[in-house]
Amino acid sequence: MTGMAVESKLSHTAAMILQTIHAGYIYGFSVMEMTGLPSGTVYPAMRRLERDELIRSHWEQQAIADADQRPLRKYYKVTRAGKATLEAAQKRYPLLVKLIPSPEAKHV
Amino acid sequence: MRIRRVVRTSRVPLAILQCASCLVPSRQRAEWTAEWRAELWYVWQRCNGQHSSQLCGDEDAVAFCLGAFQDAFWMRRNSPRPEHRSFRLESAHWCGVLLGALAAASLMVALLLPGARSKILRSPYRDADNLVLISPDGYLGATSPTIAIEEYQAWKRRSQSLFTDFAFYRPALDRAKMAGHQTAELNVAVASGNLFDLLEIPVESPALDEARREHRPALVLRHSAWRRYFGRDSNVVGKFVEVAGERAVVAAVVSDDSWRLPGQVDAWLLETERGLNAPQSSSLGYVLGHVAHSAYGTETRGDQWHMLVPREGGYDGFDCVSVAERIRQPFSIFLFALVLACLALPATTPLPLGDYPKTNDSLFWMTRRRRWIFLSIKIALILPIVYCGSLSLAYSKTSLDPITSQYIQIFFSFTGCLFSFRWALRDQRQRCPVCLRLLTNPARVGQPSRNFLAWNGTELMCDRGHGLLHVPEIATSWFSTQRWLYLDPSWNDLFREPYLPSAGMF
Repeated sequence: MTGMAVESKLSHTAAMILQTIHAGYIYGFSVMEMTGLPSGTVYPAMRRLERDELIRSHWEQQAIADADQRPLRKYYKVTRAGKATLEAAQKRYPLLVKLIPSPEAKHV
Repeated sequence: MRIRRVVRTSRVPLAILQCASCLVPSRQRAEWTAEWRAELWYVWQRCNGQHSSQLCGDEDAVAFCLGAFQDAFWMRRNSPRPEHRSFRLESAHWCGVLLGALAAASLMVALLLPGARSKILRSPYRDADNLVLISPDGYLGATSPTIAIEEYQAWKRRSQSLFTDFAFYRPALDRAKMAGHQTAELNVAVASGNLFDLLEIPVESPALDEARREHRPALVLRHSAWRRYFGRDSNVVGKFVEVAGERAVVAAVVSDDSWRLPGQVDAWLLETERGLNAPQSSSLGYVLGHVAHSAYGTETRGDQWHMLVPREGGYDGFDCVSVAERIRQPFSIFLFALVLACLALPATTPLPLGDYPKTNDSLFWMTRRRRWIFLSIKIALILPIVYCGSLSLAYSKTSLDPITSQYIQIFFSFTGCLFSFRWALRDQRQRCPVCLRLLTNPARVGQPSRNFLAWNGTELMCDRGHGLLHVPEIATSWFSTQRWLYLDPSWNDLFREPYLPSAGMF
């Protein structure tokens, strides 16, 4: 399913999570901390976004995790389709950017 | 406080994750678990106070992990179904394996139930064709004893040309007192001493020979009774027990499968002729007769015949029912129900399997043969399933009288055959003639209002691209049965998708 097709279905919570990931909170627990949403909401929402190809995930390299003496972390990143969808969602929910500033906004 | 103490152990969140992971499809489980464990590590790091956070304490770890259930449910709902989960009956091989397993299971169940087991095993009597059960009521005579002891003894005394010998037995519930054992109530058949000789059941025991020589009663135990009431005592043979008011020596233990005649029997008290006569002379019993080989051929006599026995001032009529026929009766009942089911089948489903266009190549003959072999295998496996199943249902309770059991067997044999044949035909019609897999993706085509102007019905396709099946909504003179359309290999590119969800019209 393409980003344009799911654009109209993106709920406020999903848009907030997409915005959070876009803002640089790129693993599940950091998204939880930033949004204040429970794990039972955040992780299924991220799966849905990944299924709709708005975000994609990848595991970090083992060497990095070993150096920090911690388990491997799974990172999420907004795709091109996700960015287009997020722009539409930001117009629909203007407070999103104020709640979670985008990296571009931080630089300004 | 107690709950708090339990939650504070760090194993609880891991156990919750472990439980939740069971809901995740196996292909994704390892990755899913790794991600949640990694995330949990960060929750614990926060709780250990390395970083300031709102989340603090193991309760938060537990709350975090409880969210894993929602995630696991989502994964379960949204994961594509793997192909192997939809095999069930779609593949011809699995259909055959499933039916074979059912047939084996039903046979096992029937063999485990003593009542049904005795109907399946072959006759233990070598000369069953020449053994007859004599009663005034034919087959109904098996439900209860009908012949008086005096009558039996009168037949024994009279010179016979038709029969070589007679045996008598009278089943009754008797209390048996065993030395060193407790008293038990046994179903004891008080029988004439020649019963086992007539049936040709080998009972070779010095104790029996001695009892015969001394004209004393001997007790022959059934294996199940020996196990239940005598605690598998291997030295029981030769011991004395008091049964039916008499002191008898335990002469032998015989197999449970050696008794197929009417009456529930745990033991046989083999009496002398005088002993038979004494206290229960007015009691009724069953009489077995052994027909002389020279009398008539088995084919001439038939399975049941009537005879007249002269008495003072007239004749008494008796029916002689072959013991072999009695043993074969459950199978005869099944055959009768099978014929009835075959006659009733056209009323429940059309018999034609469809119109498959004839082609010149060898594929047509090969697929045609495969289809018929598959149908034959299905029917061949259905028959033992229904037969053993009906026997298990009809004869599982030994307390039921034989007539009721027969009615139960007829009912289940008939309904079982009818509905399983119906399923076999319907299943056959819904399969691809080439790969024998169930057809998928049914689609309605046409409109009922245009039935007489255009085509109206359902189309199904083989998900491997072998062809399409057209099933008319209403059978007409120009489209009476379903038609198969073979697709040539040029269509193969359209059928690369391994899994095509079916709308499930059938």
